[in-house]
Amino acid sequence: MEYSNPEIPEGINSSKAHPLKEFLWLTSGVLASIFVLILVLVIFVDVLTSYIPFSVENKIPFPEIKAGTKQGPIPEYLQSLANRIVKSQDLPDEMKITIHYLDDETVNAFATLGGHVFFFRGLLEKLPNENALAMLMAHEIAHVKHRHPIKSMGRGLVAGLALSVISTTAGDAVIGNFLGEAGYLTILKYSREMELQADETAIKALKSIYGHLGGADDLFKILKEEAGSLEPPEFFSTHPLTDDRIAEIESYDYATHKNNKITPLPDKFQKWITEASTQSGAE
Amino acid sequence: MIDLIIFLSLLALGYGFGRHAEKKHYKSIIKREKKLRGLPAIAAKTPTMLSKPSESRLVVGSVVVSVDYFKRFISVLRNLVGGRVTSYESLIDRARREAVLRMKAQAKEMGADLIFNTKFETASIYQGRGNQVGSVEVLAYGTAIIPPRQG
Repeated sequence: MEYSNPEIPEGINSSKAHPLKEFLWLTSGVLASIFVLILVLVIFVDVLTSYIPFSVENKIPFPEIKAGTKQGPIPEYLQSLANRIVKSQDLPDEMKITIHYLDDETVNAFATLGGHVFFFRGLLEKLPNENALAMLMAHEIAHVKHRHPIKSMGRGLVAGLALSVISTTAGDAVIGNFLGEAGYLTILKYSREMELQADETAIKALKSIYGHLGGADDLFKILKEEAGSLEPPEFFSTHPLTDDRIAEIESYDYATHKNNKITPLPDKFQKWITEASTQSGAE
Repeated sequence: MIDLIIFLSLLALGYGFGRHAEKKHYKSIIKREKKLRGLPAIAAKTPTMLSKPSESRLVVGSVVVSVDYFKRFISVLRNLVGGRVTSYESLIDRARREAVLRMKAQAKEMGADLIFNTKFETASIYQGRGNQVGSVEVLAYGTAIIPPRQG
């Protein structure tokens, strides 16, 4: 018997396909599946949360609810404005809006579970007129009206759970992180939709209260200034781009009329803010 | 954002270096396999035919290869969807052939004309450490037949 050593053709034990081709197929396939999975979960959560009665929201303990003040001239003025907006937005009786005022530099305002809406001093002292404040408040109240706080909490829980399962299955910290982030960006898309929905409802409310939208865009001009050049690309952001939101308001022809009467803030508004601030500082 | 940039540069780095190294390695493997074709390595336990009394000796070739980040990324996605992990196949294929070549080179130096009872062993260097980039050792060994020198 003779031993020979024939030349074995290449590509039997290894693939001849270009690795980038496989990379593209796999990455796009997996990302698309994550996208679809999150989409299905978000729809699922949205349908289910609409069956949760509003009264249940008050039973969910939320630590920040105790943080703000409800007494004093500012919260009282804010509450009276809120009551006007609630009326024009036709909120059901059980949806009670509670305004909280936070004496803090943060330029922000937010609505959370149980109809609690929080305003930070940092944003309030920058607002030039009541219309801008009303736009801000109508936006936050619209979030409550559309049940956004409980929806985003539900989405966060369910989608977050699914994403953490996927990313731990990956078995590699960085790659798992990447897959998780990709899913998170999908959730952000729905977060931006909520913001647009709240803007839309707020615009309607402002139109019915003041008859025009003058001054409403001042709010977004302030927010834009605040974000500066740091505004991230829309894809990575919870909120739509402020330029788009300003454009949205200006697209209504009654927004830019010259004879729009802009309602000023109460004369003492700035004084209230400084007083409340020195009082809490002295404590 | 920063995470994404780090991740993408790791991928690009893995792809660039990994692909270059693989191409270069395959070229060298094919060249050396041609050169050593005259020295067969067979799996049979005993050689069937020995014309003259010969010396036999153990020959060993060992290789440790590490996976690059790009290959690892593909294998992680494969973990989720299943299928051939082609990115690892070419890596292991190179390791196996390189191990045989090193074994043959050793036998050649001894003046052998045949290696029989060729066997393979593998060992995972990073076994049980999930988040590390994995390395694997491939060991080829066999018995080399060295014909008596003709004086």
